[in-house]
Amino acid sequence: MELETEADGKLEAEVQTETIMEMEREVKTQTEGESVERDPESDTRTGEVKRERETEPVRVCVSGSTPLLWRSADLRLVRERMGIVGTLVGSLARQPRQNCRLGRPLQLQLEEARLLKDTGRAVLVKGAESECDDDRVNVEVEESYTKHLQHSYEEQGRLALEEKKRVLERVMTERFRDDALTDQPIRERLSSLKSSFSFPRSAMMVQLCTARARLGYAPVERDWLAADWTLPRDNKQEVRYRVYQDLRQQGYYITSAGKFGGDYLIYPGDPLRFHAHFIAVCVPIKSESPISDFLCLARLGANVKKTILLCSPSETESEGVIYTSIQWSGMV
Amino acid sequence: MADCAGKGPAAACENEDWSSEVLSPSELFAARTRDHKLPARGQKDFLPDGSQRQSEKLRRGLEEHWKLVSEERVERQGSLVKAEWKPKDNVVVLMSPAGKFWQTMGYSEQGKQFLQSEEALYLMECGNVEVFYRELPLSVQEGYELMLSNRTISLQQYQVFSHLKRLGYIVNRFDASAVPSLYERQLNLVQKRDKADRHHRKRKRSRSPSRSKDTPEGQSQTRENTEQKAHEDTMSSREESQNSGSSTCMIPSERAAACSMEVKQGGTSEERSCWWDSPLVPQSEQTQDRQLHSPQRSGLKWDFSRISFPNLGLDCPLTSLQAPDPGLLPSAVPARACDVSAWLQRLNLREERLSRREREQQDRERQYKRGVNEDREVRSCRNWQDYKELLQRRSRQSCRKWPAHLWNEAVKPLTAPGQATSTGDLLQQIGMMQPSRLLDEAAGLVEDSGGMRISFDVYQADTVAEFKKSNPGKPYSRMCVCSFDGPVPDLRTLKRLAFQSGDVPVTYAVVDNGDISFYSFKGFQLPTDCCY
Repeated sequence: MELETEADGKLEAEVQTETIMEMEREVKTQTEGESVERDPESDTRTGEVKRERETEPVRVCVSGSTPLLWRSADLRLVRERMGIVGTLVGSLARQPRQNCRLGRPLQLQLEEARLLKDTGRAVLVKGAESECDDDRVNVEVEESYTKHLQHSYEEQGRLALEEKKRVLERVMTERFRDDALTDQPIRERLSSLKSSFSFPRSAMMVQLCTARARLGYAPVERDWLAADWTLPRDNKQEVRYRVYQDLRQQGYYITSAGKFGGDYLIYPGDPLRFHAHFIAVCVPIKSESPISDFLCLARLGANVKKTILLCSPSETESEGVIYTSIQWSGMV
Repeated sequence: MADCAGKGPAAACENEDWSSEVLSPSELFAARTRDHKLPARGQKDFLPDGSQRQSEKLRRGLEEHWKLVSEERVERQGSLVKAEWKPKDNVVVLMSPAGKFWQTMGYSEQGKQFLQSEEALYLMECGNVEVFYRELPLSVQEGYELMLSNRTISLQQYQVFSHLKRLGYIVNRFDASAVPSLYERQLNLVQKRDKADRHHRKRKRSRSPSRSKDTPEGQSQTRENTEQKAHEDTMSSREESQNSGSSTCMIPSERAAACSMEVKQGGTSEERSCWWDSPLVPQSEQTQDRQLHSPQRSGLKWDFSRISFPNLGLDCPLTSLQAPDPGLLPSAVPARACDVSAWLQRLNLREERLSRREREQQDRERQYKRGVNEDREVRSCRNWQDYKELLQRRSRQSCRKWPAHLWNEAVKPLTAPGQATSTGDLLQQIGMMQPSRLLDEAAGLVEDSGGMRISFDVYQADTVAEFKKSNPGKPYSRMCVCSFDGPVPDLRTLKRLAFQSGDVPVTYAVVDNGDISFYSFKGFQLPTDCCY
């Protein structure tokens, strides 16, 4: 096996890596499938606020059978604390009409969501499915929204007025430094500014929230039960999950590799800074494949300059996962 | 999390900091002067080495990434179009006038403007439309939850839709009933034609002459005769010409029978060139006279120098014909000089202008095809009977040559020598596999319940200026969305979808965890050796 263990925290700041290792070690000692009562992180963290934010559960929403993350804090947490990368699939707010860089929501692989569930870091949020007959308007919430909007409008109007005043003052001071006579019209404008200034409603800036804002009814949130897992857990899923778990524990970053003909792309560090080294193909330990399959994989790896890694979880949990890499070599 | 788990789900919400992503008025105001450029990404490193430099770069990269990702959409109230989500119909109705997007998206009904759910969601993400539900504005998350369901379209389909829209394509929902059928296309019932096909001016066939002129047994008669008959028919009543050819042909035969005695009596001197010597058998009244018995005397050949065949073609127009030599005519068939100008007008004397393709085909045929008349043995035949005997002799001869071990077994050769008349014919006979096209036998395929479906019509980006929602024309491609985990489309699905799509190619968009790849299948024809 040609993998180097990189559990020595070379990936990110040392503290973070250690935290991940700690967490993973804790996970290993727990039984699978139960949501866990965890003690807050140990002494490395200061402040209760921070502690709470770490233990705050990540909210996973499901669209169809696809798990999505919406809040930026959640995205940041899973990436920096747990090494879960996911894929951004929405439009980017800054430039929505391009495909190079996308924005929220973050789509998770099934293995990533399952890891979140198994470590108890996530809760499942049921979506806001519209009940067709229930078009009743929640009057209280609507009133609070209108108030909020009005407040925002007034504030912005005030800020606009102040800014205009500042502009005029700057004009005055810069241009008519020594001449007190000719800046009279500007002075007059300044004094009458308050009365003559108008800030139309249409000029107000309005936010189009990405994640669910407080306005609106509160959705039902609960711990993720085994019954929510809509997809069948067949053998293939199990094999993939075990490989994912093992690689994640060793500190590798994992994304999906459909376009490369494999199951996962393995990065030695955060995908933002490093290229992928391996293409992982999950193979059940007792399966048989014709040699042509391996030839295809080897060719593929040679073309994209990545090593193909065949991953097979052993029969027993304790023995871990067996890795085999394919290297194309000549007969010398 | 420990706290939350203890208190229960309802309480958990209240503890959450919901408003962390809601911007304050000052932030909103400051967002007017936000930068709209995307930062460029630097080069990646190969291996993590734990250095400070690398970790610093990573930290900065991540900070920039989070800054971009967490940025919220802030728009001027005046530039937003207000809309409302209608869950019953799964559409969004516009409350204020539509903007520029109306050119390619949405539809009108009963005076109101509507958007499909995926269009509305895309416009929400772009920050052009603010959708309300129950008097409150929807966030993008809520938009995804409400507008993407199995009643509208799935998340994967929406991902393909928005991917294409971001690239600039015009994407509409596919409507199977709006695809013009092959028949409609052939009849040109499709409103917009891509390019008018101008066929070459081919030789137009004039109305075929009535049967009396077109004698079935024309083999045995010269043009003269035909013309003469025609002349007779024009003289005769209309009804006669309407009758079946046989009745009119009986006239000459009758007359021939009547005149046979005369001919006999006249004797057949060798000076006069006669068509035939033997008198007509009386029972040939019923049958059309095709029996041209070869004269008993061998060596009697036609002397064409003494027979005049009038040329009525374009190059030598004649309007009057002389009376033919009675010796050339069948016995008892009188003939006289006549004026054929009326009949000439009904002939199609236009020069045949062949298209380039036809000329090329003719050239090719000239190389390979051998005209029958060039065969020496055929030329030595004096009449049809000779020729037929020659053919029979030849087939008998070739039969004798056939080896028994080939032809008497259960498995026989596919073709016999001499059976094929051209190279193409031969290839057809020995061909084991017929070329098949994608749309063969595709008409009757029925969709099974879980099968793949065409989701969208895609029109190209550069047609935006001329695009009309009421008459979009032929799409550039049709999109079928499939998942990476699902099966590869089998031949049956390919045929069914290709047929359903008509003459527009079908593209398969495969969605793999956010990444989209496009595949299409094109029919390929193996080149043929020669065209036939």
